Amino acid sequence: MGGLQKKKYERGSATNYITRNRARKKLMLSLPDFRRLCILKGIYPHEPKHKKKVNKGSTAPRTFYLLKDIRFLLHEPIVGKFREYKIFVRKLKKAYGKTEWSTVERLRENKPTYKLDHIIKERYPSFIDALRDIDDALCMCFLFSTFARTGKCHVQTIQLCRRLTVEWMNYVIASRSLRKVFISIKGIYYQAEVMGQLITWLVPYQFSHDHPTDVDYRVMATFTEMYTTLLGFVNFRLYHSLNLLYPPKLDAKAQAELKEEDEDDYAMNSESYLEKLSALSASLARVVSSADEEEAELDQFPDEGEDVEKMEAREKEQKQQEAQRKMFHGLKFFLNREVPRESLAFVIRCFGGEVSWDKSICIGSTYDVTDETITHHIVDRPSIDKQYINRYYIQPQWVYDCVNAKILLPVEDYFIGVTLPPHLSPFVEEREGDYVPPEKLKIMALQRGETTANDQEEDNEEEEDEEEEEEEEDDDDNADEEEDDEEEAEEKNLKEMEEQRSQGKSLQVKVTPGKVKVENPARKEQEEKAEEKRLAIMMMKKKEKYLYDKIMFGKKRKIREANKLAAKRKAHDDAEKAQKKKKKSRK
Amino acid sequence: MAAARRLKRVAASQPGFLTLKSSVNPADLVSGRRKRVNKNKKKSWNKHSDINDVEEFLEDVRHQERTTGGLLSEKTDDSLFFLDVGQPKKAEQTEEPVDGGKRKGKGSRPLRIDLILQHDSLVPPAKDVLAYQQPNAKKLRRIAQKAEQLAAKGVVPRRQRQLLSRRPVDRTVKKAATEANNNPDRGYYDIWGQESKDSADPWYLQQTGKKQVKRPEKLLQKPSVLPAVEVIAPGGSYNPDFFSHQALLQEAHDVEVKKQKQEDRIERQLAVNKEDKATEETVLREQVEGLVEEEDEEEEQEGASNDNEEEVVVGAIALAEKKTERQRKKEKAEKIKEQRRQADRKQTDQQQQLFQLRSIKASIKQQEQKTKTNQIKRKAKQEAEKSQPRRLGKLKFQPQDLEVQLSNELAGSLRQLKPEGSILKDRFKSLQKRNLIEPRDRAKFKRRLKVKYVEKRAFKEIA
Repeated sequence: MGGLQKKKYERGSATNYITRNRARKKLMLSLPDFRRLCILKGIYPHEPKHKKKVNKGSTAPRTFYLLKDIRFLLHEPIVGKFREYKIFVRKLKKAYGKTEWSTVERLRENKPTYKLDHIIKERYPSFIDALRDIDDALCMCFLFSTFARTGKCHVQTIQLCRRLTVEWMNYVIASRSLRKVFISIKGIYYQAEVMGQLITWLVPYQFSHDHPTDVDYRVMATFTEMYTTLLGFVNFRLYHSLNLLYPPKLDAKAQAELKEEDEDDYAMNSESYLEKLSALSASLARVVSSADEEEAELDQFPDEGEDVEKMEAREKEQKQQEAQRKMFHGLKFFLNREVPRESLAFVIRCFGGEVSWDKSICIGSTYDVTDETITHHIVDRPSIDKQYINRYYIQPQWVYDCVNAKILLPVEDYFIGVTLPPHLSPFVEEREGDYVPPEKLKIMALQRGETTANDQEEDNEEEEDEEEEEEEEDDDDNADEEEDDEEEAEEKNLKEMEEQRSQGKSLQVKVTPGKVKVENPARKEQEEKAEEKRLAIMMMKKKEKYLYDKIMFGKKRKIREANKLAAKRKAHDDAEKAQKKKKKSRK
Repeated sequence: MAAARRLKRVAASQPGFLTLKSSVNPADLVSGRRKRVNKNKKKSWNKHSDINDVEEFLEDVRHQERTTGGLLSEKTDDSLFFLDVGQPKKAEQTEEPVDGGKRKGKGSRPLRIDLILQHDSLVPPAKDVLAYQQPNAKKLRRIAQKAEQLAAKGVVPRRQRQLLSRRPVDRTVKKAATEANNNPDRGYYDIWGQESKDSADPWYLQQTGKKQVKRPEKLLQKPSVLPAVEVIAPGGSYNPDFFSHQALLQEAHDVEVKKQKQEDRIERQLAVNKEDKATEETVLREQVEGLVEEEDEEEEQEGASNDNEEEVVVGAIALAEKKTERQRKKEKAEKIKEQRRQADRKQTDQQQQLFQLRSIKASIKQQEQKTKTNQIKRKAKQEAEKSQPRRLGKLKFQPQDLEVQLSNELAGSLRQLKPEGSILKDRFKSLQKRNLIEPRDRAKFKRRLKVKYVEKRAFKEIA
């Protein structure tokens, strides 16, 4: 038995990992600095597969990093900046202690700072990479921009976040890329499609902050620092992709319109521009001043056979999308003072509507309440005193529901004082056989272009309900079942005949003039397909058959559950209706 | 110098002068015997020539000048003489009012010491030439003249031109260089558009540690597959559909029930067993412990233990008997026989396996299938784990409470909506859930020194 004895924990996973404290010592940084560095560089802790091996026999819970990651961190130039900053703080403290104010001032002037540009480039080698990771950045910036300036974080950070989010919103408006909005109890979820990427972000309601104590603000601030840099660069690129000037400028026309008002009431000169931008009511200036919007026509390549169909379908889709994007085109909205201005202005402008509000609410209103051309007045109070006859007074939910339904919904359900239909989440995608709430079915029907008896809704509610039921049934019944029914019918016929034969009765033979059986080719095809399927099922191996049965059972169960829910819903609705009637009769 | 010159002039202008002191006799000068003296040295000149007369004369001139301001011979008669007409009376009269203001007169009279120190000579003090002189006066004057000429022409001298051309120190530029990361007016540029410029030699950059180290590919992966923003369930709408709201409530309810169960379990485990509680009987027994005699039992026990010991000793002494030759041989033969038997058995088994090939194949297949299913299972588990928060530190990830509004809390309209939960917390938990940061407690404040409370005296007096 030759050779040296192998020592434990000198090879394998024990050498691939490093504990946080050792990593910190290796980098010669304090824990907060180390944490900040890891966040900025995108290096995250790792859970080893065999903790005991990595932890050298101990089972104490520790935070581990990959050793290679830490080695990579050693090359980071920012580490040096962190050390410089530490020294700066020490000097500053000393100067303060000695009350040497000139030294303090000098030190302050030469405060060491660092840039994160190279880190952004390194972490996101291409623009699309950055765009994929923008969700987080948007959420964080929107969140920080709503903070009160109370010293929980730097005021400058809040200002920067506000600027970036305003730029982002202006971009979404200019590119018409908003897709979904969902008003939840937490905040407002938006989804936009930017360069083929679906981007979701969450915007808090205004003035809804309690500051939770169990959140590490320092960590959040570090993330925000990184994300503001990222979002700025992404914004720049996006603006240039649309030929917009990057530090965004208002259109000359729009600017002239806005100039008329006395701006001094709202903001200082230095701030008024950002405020005007954030009002979202004016369009932005382009690098090349072009006609309002050039329609980008999809290039057509003549293709053979099926591709033409596909092309047509795609073209149709494109047109539809275009129409959806201009949903509010030509409509003029006026926001009453109790509705959330920013969110509504953003959504309406995203779909080409014009929007204004009372002059006293915010800078940047373009027309007055008295304007006769206003088509929709958004109100969120039970009643309003002075009403104009040529405009709809609707509740704000209408706007959001229209966006989600991608069509202009009938306004009747959203008038003042009317109980609103539920606000459904657009982020739920029902698969076949899932329960679909009737409200959604109605919207889907509207999208298909069918007009359910909405106009006479109040008069004949019951009828509508029946229709709904029918729809549900239609959805529930599958093609298979129908076929089964037919088969059963045929079998019945045959059986009858056989019975008659067995009873010894002479069959009622009669010669009737033949009829040409009308063959329905589509039906025949369907039948053939069904037959094929049946045969395929018969030919299945036992094991596959078992699996198939299981799947089918699962599907059926789902349908059953959906039916159950629908029935429940109906009962609920009926009960409510009965109550309503009672109330009416009482009145 | 000037004084000496004047003296010369005076002496020249007055050959037969009139002296105030007539002590020096001119006859003395002429009558003495002439001494022979060397005249080749200044020392001897000084020694032997008598200059007293000249000295006296000069002293006299100086005296005159000091006291009268010039030579008496040059003065006019009017200035030297006046007509004495007795005491002027008016002067006395005028003095009386001065006496009346006695104090005033005394106060205005100068002190004696001042009078002593007063300059009483009539010869004006010599001018201090140095006070009027200026170094380089001529040069400066010329330069000034030249400058005037140039200014008249409109030519600006070089030095001034340089000063003018120098820019004022631009503070803002310096600030821009050290601009903070969160400056709200910071600029951005196209970071992805421009190609990285490798200006210097790569070898140089590498050796000087200025080269950007390439980021490992592995770091581009995300530590979790969860999306950054998880949209709340449809029941979380501000105006939800009835069923989705109920579903969300059910979910929240389930979470709460689970928590409650866990708490109950812990409580149950911590509960005291009733049988373990002290009853009166057990308390009494404990108090009486050792007082009541239990000798009999003890004796019996001792006896029993003694018996055991003896038996053990006997067993140990027993000896193993020696085997005989025959026995040995027999054992060996048996052993060989057994071995042979086993070898035979093995061979037959192997032969038999040939006929069992099918079953063996089947078993192998079964085994393979088993490993396959295990692999699939393991893979599925790994996939599922990717979306799970990992254990990254001391603490486990604690999911956030579900945001839920009860049916009676739901607002009728957007205006009356009360937001639920905190987005800040939501984001923080999301980061933890996606394994970007490790969950941890807020650091506890530890006091290094003890706090001592003392009542102030003022407070004590009141209380």
